[in-house]
Amino acid sequence: MADAAAPKRFTRRTFLGWWLAGLMTATVVIGGAPLLLYLWPAAPKGQKKGPLAISLATPVSQLQDGQAIKFDAPTSPNSAFIMADGVGDNAAGDLAFGGFLVKNNGKLDCFAVNCSHLGCPIGLNETAKSFDCPCHGSRFHLNGQRFDGPAPGPLSHLTWKEGTDPNTILIDGIILGF
Amino acid sequence: MAIPHPKEIQVAVVNWLDERYPFTKAVDEALYQRVPNFANAFYYCFGGMVFILVVLQLLTGVFLSFYYVPDAGAPGNSPAYNSVQFIQNTQYLGWLIRGVHFWGANILIVMVLIHMSRVYWTGSYRAPRELNWIVGVLMLLCILALSLTGYLLPWDTKAYFATTVTIKIAGLTPPEQIVGVFLKDLLQGGPVVGPSTLQRFFTIHVFLLPAIITLLMYVHFRFIRAHGISEPM
Repeated sequence: MADAAAPKRFTRRTFLGWWLAGLMTATVVIGGAPLLLYLWPAAPKGQKKGPLAISLATPVSQLQDGQAIKFDAPTSPNSAFIMADGVGDNAAGDLAFGGFLVKNNGKLDCFAVNCSHLGCPIGLNETAKSFDCPCHGSRFHLNGQRFDGPAPGPLSHLTWKEGTDPNTILIDGIILGF
Repeated sequence: MAIPHPKEIQVAVVNWLDERYPFTKAVDEALYQRVPNFANAFYYCFGGMVFILVVLQLLTGVFLSFYYVPDAGAPGNSPAYNSVQFIQNTQYLGWLIRGVHFWGANILIVMVLIHMSRVYWTGSYRAPRELNWIVGVLMLLCILALSLTGYLLPWDTKAYFATTVTIKIAGLTPPEQIVGVFLKDLLQGGPVVGPSTLQRFFTIHVFLLPAIITLLMYVHFRFIRAHGISEPM
């Protein structure tokens, strides 16, 4: 008889209470969720991934050993390069708005302009034959390997191939659409 | 442990809050007031409809401002125009948010006029309620100014020339050489209707007027509470 007097663990009233509370919560969520989706930005119309044609001042074949050419992403239409790999602040798939084509020991490499420390644009040091970052003094060999400063690793590569005419290269990138 | 009823959780939360500030008392005072029978007529609801529309404008306005870029840019390539195009055509539910903001603004002016007509018809502007009528007229001016400044923001041809005309009219305020020129420069923010005009109108539309109208609405409602609903004539 003592068992019957003890309160039930889960009464019909409690079940109905939770049922109604759940129903009301679901109504609010179903009504409000589409509005939250509005806050998530859609990709702009005209955004397109693909190779970007970049014309260089010097033909690729005439690039001297130890020479680097800086280039920028096209601004009309507004575009960016896509990094192929990366450490630190850079990661594969990140965007870069400039880069270097460099010939080092007969090998051509294409690097994103962003330092792997915090993304500042590196510059070519003509005398020391290195890439130097102006922000915190990270320095990189022409093959992209870090040898000084706080950067945690090498520069990011850009995926590239030679274009139809000798002055043009094609680099993987994205037309931003804005 | 027995599973609690949702009501028990609710009571626990409200009790926790009430021990720190008398929220229940404040809400009761705000909500549970006797409404006289004569105020049950449908035409006493128009003011509340205006309030709901203003709240809707504030909410959809905040949502629009997440994507709107108040930058005039260069002719043929203006971030302001492009961002409105983006909201309208690309962003999920953007057409709905902008549509509610646009039509809400139109209906708001109609409802304000109907509300004012009712206040006039029932003589609710008379003593001691003159101040509330004045506050209401100030809010009407705010809403008209909001409509004017909001009209420029899409930065299309219609918006541009509508504002050109408005500023020219303001510039003809007599005495023209003193007040007119002053008003024209104040609105235009430069020698022509251009980027600085858009920036000014944006700031007025998004920061200044919503703040003022929110404050005035608070004053309006406190006055109503102080005077009570006016009796019919």
